Amino acid sequence: MTTRGRRGVTGAVVRKDLATLWSSPLPWVVGALLHAALGLLYFGDLQARQQALIQPMVPLAGFLLLAAAPVLSMRSFAEESRSGTLDLLLAVPARPRPLVLGKWLAAWGSALGVLAPAGAYVVLLRWWGRPDTGPVVSGFVGLVLFCAALTAIGVLTSSLSSSQPVAAVVALFVTLILWFAHVGSGALAAGPLLAHLSISERLRSFAAGVIDSGDVAFLAVVTVAALLLAMLAVDARRLR
Amino acid sequence: MIAARELSRRFGGRTVVEAVSFSVGPGEVVGFVGPNGAGKTTTMRMLLGILRPSSGEAAVDGPVGYLPEGFAAYDALSVRSYLRFMTRVKRVPGEDAERAMTAAGVADLAGRPVARLSKGERQRVGIAQSLLGSPPAYVLDEPTQGLDPKQVVEARALVRSLATDHGAAVLLSTHLLAEASAVCDRVVVIVAGRVVAEERPGEAGDLEARFLRLVGERELS
Repeated sequence: MTTRGRRGVTGAVVRKDLATLWSSPLPWVVGALLHAALGLLYFGDLQARQQALIQPMVPLAGFLLLAAAPVLSMRSFAEESRSGTLDLLLAVPARPRPLVLGKWLAAWGSALGVLAPAGAYVVLLRWWGRPDTGPVVSGFVGLVLFCAALTAIGVLTSSLSSSQPVAAVVALFVTLILWFAHVGSGALAAGPLLAHLSISERLRSFAAGVIDSGDVAFLAVVTVAALLLAMLAVDARRLR
Repeated sequence: MIAARELSRRFGGRTVVEAVSFSVGPGEVVGFVGPNGAGKTTTMRMLLGILRPSSGEAAVDGPVGYLPEGFAAYDALSVRSYLRFMTRVKRVPGEDAERAMTAAGVADLAGRPVARLSKGERQRVGIAQSLLGSPPAYVLDEPTQGLDPKQVVEARALVRSLATDHGAAVLLSTHLLAEASAVCDRVVVIVAGRVVAEERPGEAGDLEARFLRLVGERELS
């Protein structure tokens, strides 16, 4: 297949998945719940600090995204597999790469769409005080990359199951393990390695106003690795 | 050309399809009949490359138009959007969606969401997507399922014309022996994963009586 052909399939999958997902109540409900929880926790934190800071919002949003991203990405392959539409795509034959990329881009875009109203906090902070621009920019860059990694993991688990709930729960636990990887790592021989895998520590660095190339590379590696594994899983499903 | 050569498939220790061989040439409609669980769908999935054979070889020349049993599409999309999506996936011109809709008799449903289609209408959309790109080979699993009598007649005529007018090779799975007699040039009968007969329905006389003898009362009950 030509590059143009792959892009055509990828683009078609992105548009189709976005139309399918956003015509359902799922992203709206997920977004409403996420922002209700985020608003409550963030404003409570701001009131306690009495400072116009974006920093506390970033890890809070990150933690809530651990639950939101798997829900947004769970249907990508699992639903296609359950309904039989995946067979039709594989019989064309559509290659795993444009399918996986298209589904991940749609899930990533949806997660960013759900997160987008958090931009209003910046407007409110500027109204209340003078927040530093650095942490605002780095915090949102971190969340964008974080969403990329979480949705890639979600697409991977969705490619391994024909059950949406199973895909979502597995993705949630995988990301929870990565979130808490640093906890208690000092007591283990493999502690330094586990601490290195902690995505919450990476996000904390972004929230502090630092865009570290190591953190960017780590989230990019997690994203690419999950997508490559998803491509292998789809290919294995095609010829099992 | 569609060809199965000594195709076998085992799931765990159970052999579902065993040494199945047949071919469908250009301009030919071959019926694939057998009782439920005989291995028809498994054989078709191997021919389409979405299931790996345990042994043997499956070959289909060029792209294939596939209609799965119990065809499903995306409820949120309109019929036209769905077919446009499939033209992108199949890498055929987008305008082909209009031709396929007309051929399958769903042009009047173009703007309707898939979620609001009846079973028969969905099936016709499934037939339309199989026509996209005018492939040289078709694998159709129960294409007249859910259609009303008039639509059945139209669908059979369409299947026949794919072979007669366009020279396509068509493999047609059906439970309806009358359909196999009316549409097919040859019929391959599969029972318990094995091909037990391959014949021309016109020459074989009463296909139903022959099928009952092949399958046996126990298989049908």
